Amino acid sequence: MLPVQSTESRKFKREAGEMGSALLEIQSLNAWYCREKRVLSDFSLKLSEHEVVGLIGLNGAGKTTFLKVLSGLLPTYCAEAVRFRESPVALRDSVFKPFRYTVFAEDRSFGYFTFREYLAYVFASYGKKQPNVSDLVRGFHFEDYVDVLLKDLSAGNCRKVFLITAFALKAELLLLDEPVNGLDFQSTEYLYEQIAGYREYGTVLFSSHILESITLTSDRVCVLEGGQIRQTFKSGQIDAAGIREVLHDESDL
Amino acid sequence: MPQGFGRYCMMNLIFKAFAKKLFGAGYERLGHTVPVCLLMFAGLRAAKLRFAISPSVLYLTVSMFTAGMMWQALSSEDQSASMQNMLMLPFDRRKFILSYVTVLGIYTILTKTAVLAVSAWTYTEFWGTLLCMIHAVFLAACIYGQKRNRGLCMVWAAVMTGLLIFLREETLLFPAVAASSIFALGFLQGMDGYVFYAPEKGSIRIRKSGGTCLVWRYLIRYLICHKNYLMNTAILWCAACVLPSFLGQIERWFVIPMGFAVLSLNTPLCILLSCDPALEQAVRFLPDGKKRFCIPYCLFLFLCNLASDGLYLGSFWLQKGGVTFGMIAAAVVFALQSAVLSVLLEWFYPLRGWKIESDLWHHPRKYAVPAVMLFLAGAVGTAPGILPVLMILPAVFCIISVMTGKRMVKKMEEYNDEQRTGT
Repeated sequence: MLPVQSTESRKFKREAGEMGSALLEIQSLNAWYCREKRVLSDFSLKLSEHEVVGLIGLNGAGKTTFLKVLSGLLPTYCAEAVRFRESPVALRDSVFKPFRYTVFAEDRSFGYFTFREYLAYVFASYGKKQPNVSDLVRGFHFEDYVDVLLKDLSAGNCRKVFLITAFALKAELLLLDEPVNGLDFQSTEYLYEQIAGYREYGTVLFSSHILESITLTSDRVCVLEGGQIRQTFKSGQIDAAGIREVLHDESDL
Repeated sequence: MPQGFGRYCMMNLIFKAFAKKLFGAGYERLGHTVPVCLLMFAGLRAAKLRFAISPSVLYLTVSMFTAGMMWQALSSEDQSASMQNMLMLPFDRRKFILSYVTVLGIYTILTKTAVLAVSAWTYTEFWGTLLCMIHAVFLAACIYGQKRNRGLCMVWAAVMTGLLIFLREETLLFPAVAASSIFALGFLQGMDGYVFYAPEKGSIRIRKSGGTCLVWRYLIRYLICHKNYLMNTAILWCAACVLPSFLGQIERWFVIPMGFAVLSLNTPLCILLSCDPALEQAVRFLPDGKKRFCIPYCLFLFLCNLASDGLYLGSFWLQKGGVTFGMIAAAVVFALQSAVLSVLLEWFYPLRGWKIESDLWHHPRKYAVPAVMLFLAGAVGTAPGILPVLMILPAVFCIISVMTGKRMVKKMEEYNDEQRTGT
């Protein structure tokens, strides 16, 4: 049985008393690739500290675009307000960058680094001391590939490089774009554990097409449709049948 | 539907699939390059500007250049990725090969080498140039596809090169080239489409990882893994050795900086971020990307430039003698200046929308840095006294970068403190 939301992490949140205080607030976000068609339209979302939020939606709903905007990679956006810990922030600002890390759905960057080198590079970039990552490496069954160039790794193993880095880095805001894709069964279970346990360190926002990954880990699930949040399921309301029904209705539209 | 019509349709579809990838969905790329070539051709003729080039030199240059470009297009990794699905489907190998090679050939000729045809003055030269281009396309495809008997194909290519050099009689040369083209086409028809597909290498090599000089390790590995980049750098260094004899007649204080300016044309090393968009995205996404990546990249380019400038100065010293401290200082300034400008271009104006890597190698932007350097070379040649001023330029840039970096770190620390104390 997978550890869905560990008692420890819930206890941690209660003790910390931080659940509810806003980490990132986005108001009326509009994003586009070509001006005629907006991918995100009047999109608003508030992420609390130490919270796991799942994004689900059909293809083209705007999940990846939203994560790209948050990662500062899509310059074609405008928003009424973007606040990080209640202070206005620009998503491409170097002040905001050290607080977030993103694992992209498709990423073949730094092909000529090994995992160890990539890790060292990322920690140097974030100005943090590199921790011992052997548990994460073991958990993702990645022991044999730590000294292989990233360009020589399979898509699944390459994904593991970025996931291990993300969980080792413990950034305040962790953005995961379809993190389950390409992972084997054991690594997927380990990933669920890591996502669920991450609230101890920060907030996770992740998109997925796998309903199980969302229901087993999230405190809140947002169903995206046409660039807006159509429905939000809060803790206690999250069940696969309900979400499936909303997604079916969406596809019928 | 008649079978022949179906086959024609299939060939047409394969042709379209490759052509749209290379020329754009509406073949808009043709609209840019063909008029430029026609205008140049008409302009040169109208202005009666004629360069005295021997036909054999013209044919040889055109053949070599076209074959090189075609080889580059055939070996593009991106091309292999787009062939994967097409090869999975049932296909007629002849139609496939013909469509694929024709599209790549048209692409190579129209977007890369057509500009050379403007140097043809007579109609015979023009048609001869065109014939040589087509021949080079087919021959390069033949050699590329024939992996087992490549040695034999190389002998064939060597014989044809010999004919282009020594056979001055066009009435004999053209039939020989045409016959070779037809033979190459026949040879291609017998090949399978899979010969043009280069699957990813499955071998996994364990590397010695290190925690220091990370970007340097990355860049050196990148260079080693791209043999054509190494080759280009080696050719440039060879050019550095022979350049002093070519520029021998010019005034000494013009020759030296002009050579440095020409040697800054190391295109493949200066398009690192443009040709790897995933890397560019990752560098921009991570904090402190400018400092962590761009500064070591700039230093890497600086050392590569300095190496070629050093060879050039060494060769100059051997041939003419009298290398002064000022010339060595100029080498350092020009190497640093061109490295800084190249990195700035890559950071602020990376090339986008390219179809295959070869487009990057021949993008007009590659001449931007050498053009600026030539301008500076002219300035230094006219007034050598401004060299110290030029020396200050990269230094000023470096200081600004470091200061900006420090300010950002300080700002971040303050922000962190504020968050911690809740003020």
